[in-house]
Amino acid sequence: MPVMLELKDLIASVGDDEPKTILNGLSLNVPFGEVHAIMGPNGAGKSTLSYVLTGRHGYDVLSGKALLDGDDLLEMDPEARAAAGLFLSFQYPVEIPGVPVMTFVRTAMNAQRAVRGEPEISAPDFIKQARLVANELKLTPDMLMRPLNVGFSGGEKKRLEIFQMRMLEPRFAILDETDSGLDIDALRTVAEGVNVLRDEKRGMLVITHYQRLLDYIKPDKVHVLSAGRIITSGGPELALRLEKEGYDGIVGEAA
Amino acid sequence: MAINIPELRQKFSNPGIAELDLIARYASLPEDERRGRMFDAFAETGLPGRRVEGWRWTDVEAAAARLDGTVAPVVVPALSQPHDATVFALSPTELETPEQLPDGILVHRRDVVPALAEAENIPMAALAGSLCQYKDNAASIVIEITAPLSAPVYVNWVGQSADTNFSRLAIVVRSGASLDLVESYCGGASLSSTLVELKLEDNADVRRSLFHAGDAHEIMTATALVELAANARFVQTILSLGSLLSRFETRIGHTGTGSNATLNAAYLCGADRHCDITTFVRHGAPSCVTRQMTKGAVLAGGRGVFQGKFLVPRTIGQFTDADMQHQALLLEKGAEVFAKPELEIYADDVECAHGNTSGALDDEQLFYMRQRGIPLSRARALLTEAFVSEALASASPAVRDALHDTAREFLSEMHG
Repeated sequence: MPVMLELKDLIASVGDDEPKTILNGLSLNVPFGEVHAIMGPNGAGKSTLSYVLTGRHGYDVLSGKALLDGDDLLEMDPEARAAAGLFLSFQYPVEIPGVPVMTFVRTAMNAQRAVRGEPEISAPDFIKQARLVANELKLTPDMLMRPLNVGFSGGEKKRLEIFQMRMLEPRFAILDETDSGLDIDALRTVAEGVNVLRDEKRGMLVITHYQRLLDYIKPDKVHVLSAGRIITSGGPELALRLEKEGYDGIVGEAA
Repeated sequence: MAINIPELRQKFSNPGIAELDLIARYASLPEDERRGRMFDAFAETGLPGRRVEGWRWTDVEAAAARLDGTVAPVVVPALSQPHDATVFALSPTELETPEQLPDGILVHRRDVVPALAEAENIPMAALAGSLCQYKDNAASIVIEITAPLSAPVYVNWVGQSADTNFSRLAIVVRSGASLDLVESYCGGASLSSTLVELKLEDNADVRRSLFHAGDAHEIMTATALVELAANARFVQTILSLGSLLSRFETRIGHTGTGSNATLNAAYLCGADRHCDITTFVRHGAPSCVTRQMTKGAVLAGGRGVFQGKFLVPRTIGQFTDADMQHQALLLEKGAEVFAKPELEIYADDVECAHGNTSGALDDEQLFYMRQRGIPLSRARALLTEAFVSEALASASPAVRDALHDTAREFLSEMHG
């Protein structure tokens, strides 16, 4: 399959005052239809990668390329990247006081559609789809009326991230430690929600510390990130090996 | 005995052009002892400014000197009238009333100028009181509410000249009566001062919702003096978009046990707009409750002012429960907010709190919203609207949506 996400020799720093280089020549290709996992020890640059790709302020790319289906992500504002189909499920979803989930998601959806030249979704269609997806993710209608993420538990927030992903139907999703804070049942619900979106037109990058999530979202490839670069890649069996041997063994071996 | 203008002038220290106009206007009105006392009280400060306590940040004197009187302020569209409302239009010369008043509303025109207590502490209210004169020799107008009203009462404060407007209105709400009062201030005078005196008898219930917008050639101050008898309930909500200089000053007296006041306000100031929300609450009876929430959002070149004070005297203020919050968003560089929350408490068994914050929108929230595809300008508007809407939730159901829409429209026009 052709490459969907192409990262080449990315060097990026974090911080305005004293920039610190976190990504150090990262290269990675995710073909259409594939799900790749990124694993690595704390401080390896996993979250930095997700923020660099989505364009967060303070994360500066010094050199390298990041293309989504041939489009240069690094040239775009965060909202343009979203409209191009890039979605980040946040490790720590942000509370948006005063903006109900439904209002938020509909605003986001229509903003993306406007950029793509598509018509707005009608209110009845939106509500119908939201109810359907919420039901699958075990979110109650009452939760959708509440301000986004305000007063939600950690697990509920993660389910709301997946709810947004399902509603926005991104072409490429990055899941940043979506498994953290989830119990087994919630993990299964979330993974099922994610798997629904897997098809040959989409791609995904699943960032995780633990192999557990990968039992439910089976990756095509696993990459190990350490000190800002991919040091080794392999099939799903690599995740199992990491679980058994720990990062020290594999990181040491590659170095 | 005719009023002697040179003598009047001497009561002012170095009167400016605007003050000389006010002196001439006063001299043209029928002489009255109480009117004279109010004008004397005003003369002590003149148009208040920097040197006057409580007017440091809202300098009427300087603004009046700067105003080019040849530019007539634009009349801003008023808040739309709720369809079933009883509508009054209050101009500087007359209160226009509906031909037939609903049961429970009486209007009295009186030829006596009412006195104004503590006039020296409220110079702009003293000015309104001393210069207000309705036609047919009516020196004051009183609206009396004698029953729980089913429909809102809408008072439109209408400007009549590009020059000055001074109006005074008293509203008495009898025991057990209730009033849903909506007021629109979109005047259009260079200098206006209005005074509302609201008296709530035992168990009376008043919800007061105010809207103000003015242009960059308009100085307006609106003072409300509110007296709450036992178990009276008063809920006030203000949305102000400011003008060259604007100030809403509300003074609440809890005078009967168990009265309850909610004072909410939202100010949204664009460039060249100034909005001041000033309140003074005296807990002059035991077991009274005050809840106050003021929210502001200011753009470059705009200025917001919040001054709040709770006074809780030693014995009579016992068991007071009062909370004051002011939160402001400075949306752009060059936005200004000044705040002075004060608690003065002499009673020992009370619960009083206050909080005051100002800052920018949260970068993390903005990024999160942009990641979902919401453009920066829309994200800022949504967050700001959500921020101020808490202060508008207490408005009359008859105008709550209209106030929210007005806020949304204002915010949707701000820059990204």
